[in-house]
Amino acid sequence: MTDKDFDLSRRSFIDRVLMATAGAGIAAAAPWASAAVSAAPLAKGDRVRLGVIGTGDRGRALIQNIAKTRNCTVAAICDNFELHLAKGRALVDASTRAFTDHRAMLDAGGLDAVVVATPLDLHKQQSLDAFDAGLHVWCEKAMARTIDDCGAMVKKSQDSGKVLQIGHQRMFKPTYLNAVRRAKEGEIGAITQIRASWHRQSSWRRPVPTGATDRQINWRLYRDSSAGLMTELATHQIQVGNLFFDAVPTRVMGSGSICFWKDGREVYDHVALIYEYAGGRKLIYTSLLNNARYGCEEQIQGSKGTIEPELGRIYQELPPKELALLRMQADVASGKKRTVPIGGATWFAELPVTTPGDSLGWGEYDETMLQFEGFGEAVRTGKPLPGLLSQAYSASVASLLGEQAMDSGQILNWPTSLVAI
Amino acid sequence: MADVVRFASMGTRVELHRFGAGDDDALTAAQRAIEAVDDALTIHRPSATTALNERLMAGQGAAIDDALLFDALVTIEELNASTLGLFDPAADRRFGVAGWSAIAFDRGAAWVEASQPVALDFGGFGKGFALDRACAVLREKGVVSACLSAGESSIAVVGEHPLGGGWPFAVPHPLRPDEILVEIELTDESVSISSTVGAGTGAPERAAMIRPADATIVSAPRCLVAIDRLGAHAEAMSTALLVADKDRAERLLNGDRTRRFLFDFPRGAAIPDQSARMHFND
Repeated sequence: MTDKDFDLSRRSFIDRVLMATAGAGIAAAAPWASAAVSAAPLAKGDRVRLGVIGTGDRGRALIQNIAKTRNCTVAAICDNFELHLAKGRALVDASTRAFTDHRAMLDAGGLDAVVVATPLDLHKQQSLDAFDAGLHVWCEKAMARTIDDCGAMVKKSQDSGKVLQIGHQRMFKPTYLNAVRRAKEGEIGAITQIRASWHRQSSWRRPVPTGATDRQINWRLYRDSSAGLMTELATHQIQVGNLFFDAVPTRVMGSGSICFWKDGREVYDHVALIYEYAGGRKLIYTSLLNNARYGCEEQIQGSKGTIEPELGRIYQELPPKELALLRMQADVASGKKRTVPIGGATWFAELPVTTPGDSLGWGEYDETMLQFEGFGEAVRTGKPLPGLLSQAYSASVASLLGEQAMDSGQILNWPTSLVAI
Repeated sequence: MADVVRFASMGTRVELHRFGAGDDDALTAAQRAIEAVDDALTIHRPSATTALNERLMAGQGAAIDDALLFDALVTIEELNASTLGLFDPAADRRFGVAGWSAIAFDRGAAWVEASQPVALDFGGFGKGFALDRACAVLREKGVVSACLSAGESSIAVVGEHPLGGGWPFAVPHPLRPDEILVEIELTDESVSISSTVGAGTGAPERAAMIRPADATIVSAPRCLVAIDRLGAHAEAMSTALLVADKDRAERLLNGDRTRRFLFDFPRGAAIPDQSARMHFND
């Protein structure tokens, strides 16, 4: 893709975000999006300098996205695993400093903010260290390994006056923003249930290269470093649920099991949960790792219709149809012979659900780049994108509360001791 | 006594209503008959028909071992001729004008071959054919009054209405559902309703209707109601009339004006209602 084509794709994407966020309802529901698109481009020497902690698969993807933004630059990288650091080096200028310890990177200075893309259990300490160094923090989801740690990150951000932004790219995706706008405008009526799922056909186990340990590479499979499906996948979709319900859950119940991949992992490979919201509304969530038929989707179910954001579809409810033949039975029983209306709408079997296709492909401007441009603007102005941290905090807490509910077999109420944002 | 069974088969909702006399297992046996036809004629999962299609697509002939498929082919051959070639389950846009005319069916040898690649899609014919089988089973089981529906666009009745006389049905206007297009009465008969407009015609799973003469998609807004002693015949007639030009439509309608009804609507009405399934405008 040429620079010109990329600029066109950026402009097109921004236009779609602007179109999706036009209107009072959506502006109030997703204020971060319109703030992000207004980010001012910065000259190369003036760009927000980011230090990326963690150059594994995700960290390297973020480095590539940051390079496409108009206001951020990667000024340093850090990883304690040499192979990953070497792969990270290959993506940045030779002059970009590389570290094997994040504290050394912070001490070296020359940064405005850090990007944390390390295993979940490291997020809190690395973020706090960055705040202590006077830096802003962009941290991968989920926020941290425990609810208390999530709160500590929020509190530290508030006390230090520094921006904390969590990576939830769906919050910047035009399809989602448009879906929220149409829901806010009442197009699918009162939303009473959301079914969300993220089903994969994969062990989630990565090969361990020489020089690394299994727990270092497959940290997602072990309890001390991850809540597995809950923090890696569910947190995205719970955030979507919170956004459409415009609320956080009141309580959660669930069941988790290691049902298929009995390979020594400690985290569940099957989870099923119900999150209740005020008024009896529900988010029904499942995630599993041995069947990808239903893929990744949220079904936003209202009284007038359904939205499926991943597929980019909206369905209107059809008015209830009188069952003519059923009425005929009743008529005959009561001795009445009435004309039976037939030949109306043909009844179809359940509509097929298709697994969403691949992403649009590398090279086009997308939501991950937009969220970094938004972060760059937040760092530049010292003002966080409005509403975004609250969304991320709630989603992380909900995912971890779900883990607790499954572990304990108890119905757990929403915590009352969370940090106010 | 009145009882009913409902089940999904042939890609639609099937209902069998029985009134009065008949064996206890009559409806169950009728259901089995319909499912057997679906198993033989479906193209949506492996079946005798898909096996036949694979050979015909590969330019090979095929022996017809399945009795239901054989009977269906016999019926289709007759119906293709009686509808002036307009009922053509081999019409397929992929193959241009190659259709049933490309097929040679040797009944004595139970052998089918084709002069060029073709594939059979029985569509609505399958529903009528299945209802005919179910009606026969019900009669064998002593049933004298029954109403069978396959998606409400294919109806068959056994005998008279339980309260006497014919079974009264009303076909709604496809574009103005509150209005009645035509009212009919059936006794030991079947009706098939086909339409290019109205609810359901825009559904993504619904295959377009192909005109055999030139393999084009039929888009003119038209609705057909065809009644016949046999459901398979009613289905073939409604399908044929849907794709017929003016001259051949007249010829087919003249065959029985009291039991074949053709409704043409203004061309602007041809736009199917897509509101139930639409893309975001993002």
